[in-house]
Amino acid sequence: MPPPRTWEGRGPRDRPPAPSQEEDPEKWDWNCPETRRLFEDAFFGDEDYIRQGSEECQKFWTFFERLQRFQNLKTTRKEEKDSRHPKHSIPALADLPRAYDPRYRINLSVLGPDARRSRGLGRRLAPERVSEFRQALLHYLDFGQKQAFGRLAKLQRERMALPIAQYGDRILQTLKEHQVVVVAGDTGCGKSTQVPQYLLAAGFSHVACTQPRRIACISLAKRVGFESLSQYGSQVGYQIRFESTRSAATKIVFLTVGLLLRQIQREPRLPQYQVLIVDEVHERHLHNDFLLGILRRLLPQRPDLKVILMSATINISLFSSYFGSAPVVQVPGRLFPITVVYQPQEAEPTTSKSEKLDPRPFLRVLEAIDNKYPPEERGDLLVFLSGMAEISAVLEAAQTYASHTQRWAVLPLHSALSVADQDKVFDVAPPGVRKCILSTNIAETSVTIDGIRFVVDSGKVKEMSYDPQAKLQRLQEFWISQASAEQRKGRAGRTGPGVCFRLYAESDYDAFAPYPVPEIRRVALDALVLQMKGMSVGDPRTFPFIEPPPPTSLETAICYLRDQGALDSSEALTPIGSLLAQLPVDVVIGKMLILGSMFHLAEPVLTIAAALSVQSPFTRGAQSNPECVAARRPLESDQGDPFTLFNVFNTWVQVKSERSRNSRRWCRHRGIEEHRLYEMANLRRQFKELLEDHGLLARAQASKPGDSYSRLRQRRERQALYQLKRQHEQGQGRRRKVLRLQEDQDGCSSDEDRGGAASQGGGDNVDIQDVKFKLRHNLEQLQAAASSAQALTRDQMALLKLVLGRGLYPQLAIPDPFNSGRKDSDQIFHTKTKQGAVLHPTCIFANSPEVLHTQEQEARGSDGSRDDKDKMSSRHQLLAFVSLLETNKPYLVNCVRIPALQSLLLFSRSLDTNGDCCRLVADGWLELQLVDSESAVRLLAASLRLRAHWESALDRQLAHQARWRMEDKDDEETDPVNRKEVAALSRELLQFTASKVSYSLRRLTGLEIQNLYVGPQTITAAPSLPGLFGCSTPSPHPTKGGYAVTDFLTYSCLTSDADLYSDCLRTFWTCPHCDLHMPFTPLERIAHESTCPEAPQDGPPGAEEAAPEPLQKASALQRPYHCEACQKDFLFTPTEVLRHRRQHV
Amino acid sequence: MWVALGPVGDMPCLLTLQMECEAERRPLGVFECQLCALTAPYSYVGQQPPGAQSVALLEESYVMRDPFTPNKDRFLILGSRCSVCGRLVCVGPVGKPRAAGAAFPLSPWLGPHDCSFFYSKRFCLPCVRENIDAFPQEIQQDLEKREVPSKRPASQPGSRT
Repeated sequence: MPPPRTWEGRGPRDRPPAPSQEEDPEKWDWNCPETRRLFEDAFFGDEDYIRQGSEECQKFWTFFERLQRFQNLKTTRKEEKDSRHPKHSIPALADLPRAYDPRYRINLSVLGPDARRSRGLGRRLAPERVSEFRQALLHYLDFGQKQAFGRLAKLQRERMALPIAQYGDRILQTLKEHQVVVVAGDTGCGKSTQVPQYLLAAGFSHVACTQPRRIACISLAKRVGFESLSQYGSQVGYQIRFESTRSAATKIVFLTVGLLLRQIQREPRLPQYQVLIVDEVHERHLHNDFLLGILRRLLPQRPDLKVILMSATINISLFSSYFGSAPVVQVPGRLFPITVVYQPQEAEPTTSKSEKLDPRPFLRVLEAIDNKYPPEERGDLLVFLSGMAEISAVLEAAQTYASHTQRWAVLPLHSALSVADQDKVFDVAPPGVRKCILSTNIAETSVTIDGIRFVVDSGKVKEMSYDPQAKLQRLQEFWISQASAEQRKGRAGRTGPGVCFRLYAESDYDAFAPYPVPEIRRVALDALVLQMKGMSVGDPRTFPFIEPPPPTSLETAICYLRDQGALDSSEALTPIGSLLAQLPVDVVIGKMLILGSMFHLAEPVLTIAAALSVQSPFTRGAQSNPECVAARRPLESDQGDPFTLFNVFNTWVQVKSERSRNSRRWCRHRGIEEHRLYEMANLRRQFKELLEDHGLLARAQASKPGDSYSRLRQRRERQALYQLKRQHEQGQGRRRKVLRLQEDQDGCSSDEDRGGAASQGGGDNVDIQDVKFKLRHNLEQLQAAASSAQALTRDQMALLKLVLGRGLYPQLAIPDPFNSGRKDSDQIFHTKTKQGAVLHPTCIFANSPEVLHTQEQEARGSDGSRDDKDKMSSRHQLLAFVSLLETNKPYLVNCVRIPALQSLLLFSRSLDTNGDCCRLVADGWLELQLVDSESAVRLLAASLRLRAHWESALDRQLAHQARWRMEDKDDEETDPVNRKEVAALSRELLQFTASKVSYSLRRLTGLEIQNLYVGPQTITAAPSLPGLFGCSTPSPHPTKGGYAVTDFLTYSCLTSDADLYSDCLRTFWTCPHCDLHMPFTPLERIAHESTCPEAPQDGPPGAEEAAPEPLQKASALQRPYHCEACQKDFLFTPTEVLRHRRQHV
Repeated sequence: MWVALGPVGDMPCLLTLQMECEAERRPLGVFECQLCALTAPYSYVGQQPPGAQSVALLEESYVMRDPFTPNKDRFLILGSRCSVCGRLVCVGPVGKPRAAGAAFPLSPWLGPHDCSFFYSKRFCLPCVRENIDAFPQEIQQDLEKREVPSKRPASQPGSRT
């Protein structure tokens, strides 16, 4: 189709006014807009095939001009010789027009203007012109028919030419006879696009096809829709986490494995599907392996369900035998021959292992290609490198080389690139120039680039591995498997014969593992185990996996879930666990969401949870750009990364709602990848729906603008957005561009701007992401949430940190005691299992570490014997982090700082004390020394009480949630836990975190940990405190010694010189609640406090249900005070007590 | 059935209609060319495709909605019966219309779908060849030209991994 052209060049200015129709034919001007309008009025009305003013109308006139030019050329020789023939005997042939005219070859006709009740227009148009116009219109329509039919025919021809085309019948036949069929075929055989269509053609109408990647779901649905001629219909759709094009008419749906598993969770027998295609099973993704296990169990219960496993031709027997020797249909791939060149790297003198990758072997290949292949022989180069650092090393060298030769356009490709930069690999290099794409293994399967003729395979891959002992993810470099090597090689032979340079020896290749390590053997299994528990598939240890995971990984996962409170001691789901199992999020994130909704902090927690679940939005390069760094600064929060992300998202939402179109520039200016923010918005919405679905959040009232005017305006806006989106989709989105060589040599610095400018300048100025965003989200709601976030009170902020802390617990790190003497970038931290972790460079604490340092002036009471690192302070802090990632160093990712003592008291799974409670050990690795025993006991008692309250509030919330799920969900009670109670709990928690006690904090050494406990005591009699502990008396702890007071607190089990008699030392003490005055041991004191009848219970009755009152800054003199008169609890200094009492007088 | 949208001036209507029409536009059957085996679902047979009042077809045609455009009123003629032998044939070839000739960037799709052409009526190519004399010279020349072009080069060398 010729591109639509405008005819501005022949615009009205150059033309005399419209010719009157009676003028002589010489002066007739088809180009005159007036003339054209007359015809358009007559022929292109609202009900006509072509409508006036449409794009089609423009196309027609372009066509018309060409036709005119062509016919002018032909008129001279267009004298028909009248050929006489005898009449034919066959009637159909008898009345053929003898005088040839091309119009007889058109099987269409168009109504003339007279037949169109056309308001006398016919009279104003000369009949010969009308007929000329109609002829042209006919040709145009005929042309359109031929073009469309041509596409249809071409499509069928291409489909027929696919290797799998000859196997379609066999696949269907085999499927008829068996429940499971394995279709094995290599890249390019067409299995992913064709098999669903064969099923469709065979009359199946409930087909699901799973894909490991979201992007594949979308592109396959598009392709299959196009090929099955329902591109604009809905029989082919996709369903991924944020988007669905599925409708009642959908017959084939492409969906992610994760999503299908969720569907199974809801409906274990999958009644909605007749056929299930599981694609890419050979990739051995965690979810795929699990799905196969589920299916193997399901199949006997669903004899009508058919399953097609699709795989590359590797390890087929594994899948076949797993399903009782299921038949295999093997399809040859379509690859051109590929020459393999082994170029092992000589052991070049390398000084150290951590040195940068040597780019020379790669440059030699570039050179070799330049020398051997003339530039006019096209074909690009794809280089597989292990990671981003390696890519940038080679990129630098290759660009230098390219700027000399002017024959290469070097492009990086990895997942951390912005989407626009990723898309550049699909652009075309100018003539004489080859693309050199430096890629991670993303180009092995996920991204397919056409036109690759050369492949360089480094033989290395960086993969996430998981250390179950340290609960640590490690990004390590490995040799690839033979299967991967073959896959990489195959990329050179998709469009023609190719060459694959392997930078290793053939003997290396032979030594490679045949297949990559399945994901189940190298990742944390927490989420999987939780999901398995949620689906009641029984003990994960005995689940019939196609290949079982390492037992230690399973045990670690179970243990972790128990630690997180998702499983109880018998490994059954706890109430919170069963809720977490329904949320398709990380356990940590799920906990935050649940806790957040309990404290009425759902909106901020939603944003933070979403922000912590997507890749960091900060682009890598921007860190070194001072402008970006400066522009980001106002968004940074010294509380921690989650809050910085929170600010970024909120401010972005504000930008979007205020100056809509500028958000893209706003992001670029700050080195922020906007795509990630869109993901956050999507995820946030999904989380919100989850909370609503599970009764944890009141469903938002459809906020209808009051007056009909604004409703109308809103509807108009949405319509306009829909139209923009449709126009964009019809424009097929991004078109391929030709790479400009020069620009690509000047490095990445201007990359962002160029990318943005190019995509904006490319004809349509629509930011389609923005349009989609506005269609999907209620911007006003988001903005309301964002602006309320900016008005978070100090108290809400502190609560939010508690929620995060409890969610993230036990992922804690302690700053190294010598950090204050170190450079900013050298701050180190220790976790329980990993010493010497560092901060990610984007982390706020890497840039302003001083907020973590305990202030010097706070230090007091440090007796001379103590080391500087045992500094006494009330401000010790810990970092709670989202993940620990090891690359060349262990990195803490997404940290938030939390007060050490209070957090440990509130969250620890194990708290051990000495006799006077001055020394506490949390979770067996952090030691706290408090100055005085009294405040220690007071805090300990308060924490016991708070934990109990918090637990019971949470339990009730969950119980309510469970009830809510059972009953029909009309129950409008949206506040399961009494608002007052939550308010009281919040208040107490805030008081608790604000309490100021001096203490020292340190990490125990290995030796100390070994000798931590006194061990089981033979002689100790249980302290005689009848009744003071309620019904349960503290029992001696069987291993640690001392007494187990609660499931987490063990009293007096720590070895210490001073401890010998401490548990029987009594001192006089006055209970602040009941004024009881008598000698107590510390234990007795705790016991009394936790049972004191006068102590504040579940919030004093009759307390106002106002939001937590803003607390004054807690001072060291404050003490809890319970006012009898108003039945309220306060944290008062003595003078404040007097002032308060005066009110009641 | 194919629903004629009628005068839909209002936008929101269009949006909902788009959805509804999908469900309602059931194909009547599958058209299959008896010569080249091209198949496609058709949704109308006749001379007056719905949604296109001002256009009429000069033969009883098998028609589907044009799958390559979102515009619901666009139709695509798949084929019709040969007026000599009555075979159901597709409208291929879509070779160059002589009136337009080289001025039009039509790719020549000769090959498997070389089945029929229209000259005031539909004729399948076997029938045309048999009765070539009955057609005007232009047609005869055109046909000769079409027979000549060699087979397209095979684009499938042996596959190897």
